[in-house]
Amino acid sequence: MSKIIRTAAKEPFKPEPDDDLIICRCEEVTKGEIRRAVHGGFRTTNEVKRWLRCGMGLCQGQTCQRNFQNIIAKEAGISVKDLGMISGRSPARPVMIDVFANEVIDAEKDPEGK
Amino acid sequence: MIGAGPAGLSAAVEAAEAGMRVAVFDENAGPGGQLFKQIHKFFGSRDQNAMIRGFQIGRNLLARAEAAGVEVFLNAPVMGIYKNHEVLVKIEDESVHFKGDNIIIAAGAAEVMVPFCGWDLPGVMGAGAAQTLMNRHGVLPGRKVLLVGSGNVGLIVGLQLLQAGCELVAVLDAAPRVGGYGVHAAKIARTGVPFLTSTTILEAKGDGKVEKAVIRKVDSRFQVIPGTERELDVDTILMAVGLSPMTQLASCAGCDVEYSDQTGRLSCITVTDEFCETTVAGIYCCGDFRMETAEGASSAILQGQIAASHIAEQAGYITGEECGARIAKCQETLRQMSGGMFSVKNKGRVDPTETDEGYPISRSLLERGYIAEEELQNYPAASYEAEGVHPVIECVQNIPCNPCRDMCARKCILVNGDITNIPLVDQTKKCVGCGLCVANCPGQSIFLIDKTSIPDYAAVSIPYEFLPLPEEGQKGTGLDRSGAPVCDALVMSVKTSPAMDKTAVLTMKVPLKYADSVRFFKAEGGAE
Ligand SMILES: Cc1cc2nc3c(=O)[nH]c(=O)nc-3n(C[C@H](O)[C@H](O)[C@H](O)COP(=O)(O)OP(=O)(O)OC[C@H]3O[C@@H](n4cnc5c(N)ncnc54)[C@H](O)[C@@H]3O)c2cc1C
Repeated sequence: MSKIIRTAAKEPFKPEPDDDLIICRCEEVTKGEIRRAVHGGFRTTNEVKRWLRCGMGLCQGQTCQRNFQNIIAKEAGISVKDLGMISGRSPARPVMIDVFANEVIDAEKDPEGK
Repeated sequence: MIGAGPAGLSAAVEAAEAGMRVAVFDENAGPGGQLFKQIHKFFGSRDQNAMIRGFQIGRNLLARAEAAGVEVFLNAPVMGIYKNHEVLVKIEDESVHFKGDNIIIAAGAAEVMVPFCGWDLPGVMGAGAAQTLMNRHGVLPGRKVLLVGSGNVGLIVGLQLLQAGCELVAVLDAAPRVGGYGVHAAKIARTGVPFLTSTTILEAKGDGKVEKAVIRKVDSRFQVIPGTERELDVDTILMAVGLSPMTQLASCAGCDVEYSDQTGRLSCITVTDEFCETTVAGIYCCGDFRMETAEGASSAILQGQIAASHIAEQAGYITGEECGARIAKCQETLRQMSGGMFSVKNKGRVDPTETDEGYPISRSLLERGYIAEEELQNYPAASYEAEGVHPVIECVQNIPCNPCRDMCARKCILVNGDITNIPLVDQTKKCVGCGLCVANCPGQSIFLIDKTSIPDYAAVSIPYEFLPLPEEGQKGTGLDRSGAPVCDALVMSVKTSPAMDKTAVLTMKVPLKYADSVRFFKAEGGAE
């Protein structure tokens, strides 16, 4: 695994004309929000993801991961290679909550929990 | 096996034929992965399915998998992979747990999207998504389309958009050259679609949907050149700017996932060894999921075979010797397929000057998507002249493809040595004008020309894959390689046969002096 580098933003935050551009479509996170997060101290892929929820929607970061990493990398002046990756989490695909929730072990019928 | 595309199915066949018990899960309702929307004839090696339409390759694989006793679960998305090779699958409305001694992840790749102003408007989508709409669901993705990205995926979808009846307004590429095979670009260019290289998309405009695209020129360092904006009237913008492996499942399973530039540019991949095994023992990955390769389905199939052979050997189903021999064979084919001008090692080389044979590179093909007439003389098969009907082969780049060689019963066509070599015409053999080479060249780059049978006129035969098929005696216009009208043309014959597999060979009569210019037919008044 390549190592993760935490770097602060190079320069103070300056608004940019396209800060309202949506980067993560599923969770509607904008470029400006991601830039501000970096300036606010969130520096790795997973830190920004947990703070803003980009990459936590339907596509699970398949579409937006690289795009929001590019923004973090540019603000911090480092390569996307050094930001770490979104940790893949189940469910990898959208699934109705009842499909998950119905998965209960009936202790009476199945005492060993098979 | 996760994924029933070419990688997953071929791995399943290999493992099942070795005697292993195999289950395949796919979230789609139909098996075949990308193959089931590929309606075109595949390029590649004759031993590797070339010339067969993609969906047919998928059907063949599926039939083999079923015959080998593979259990295929459809509508079965894999939601997660956990410790001890536990796989969680949604089947009907239940979460079902499976355990495998080995797991192969062959879940394919997803399309890369680049954000630009207005990219979230309805009407902006991946080119592959548009292809799914057209070819799987029979839905037109739009009417006036701008295609961004001229790699092979973009070029192939571009032709299929035209076949489906869309207007293709332009094909853009930020690079100074067309990214995919010249033969695929030429099919689009000769219908009149412009290629705009060194150009990028700046903005999608519209009220609630795409109505206009703003494009702009870029310099050699991909910086936009101010003052070069242009607006195009389009209702659809398709992005074909690359694929990115769907690494989530591998990450979920604890496999190392990282950025790598192994494929010539930075992409997110799962770390694997030469046998496609990840950093978690017993979990393998192959196909587009492993990395995007120029060889596509062939490479996916071969990687699937390598992974499955390795697993079969590790589990004692085949001997080390057998396994070694199978893997060596796959690797040799992969080596051959990955040569040529579009190989990973040549990808960064923006300006090759010569082909492997020492012919000058066609600059026009790279920059505009078609060969300029004055360049034809550089290539023996593209400028071949003979008495009566004879082939002219406008395939002038080193790409891994050779079905033309085997199509000709008279052995007129040679692809000597490596599969990436440019085809030649054997002057000692006499063409009989059957047209099988024309119909079956996946690049649609072979034409039959006859300059001597009709006084003052020439007969030009072209591959034709549009409906309605023109009829004998129909009048129209002969278009040149750039799609510009050149002269009147009269349809002499339209040949179809099972061996031509739905590519018609249209022969038209044009004035002799245009024999080397006309390469497409546009029916009078009607759609092409
Ligand atoms: C427009 C276009 C043209 C092409 N033309 C050619 C060509 O001419 N020649 C050529 O050789 N190649 C071509 N290719 C490339 C070729 O189609 C791919 O390389 C090949 O299909 C990759 O195979 P695969 O098995 O790795 O992945 P895929 O075919 O993508 O299959 C992956 C499968 O996994 C399933 N899946 C994904 N995630 C999950 C999950 N969580 N649970 C369950 N199932 C899942 C998907 O539904 C899919 O069915 C083309 C591709 C495109 C897009």
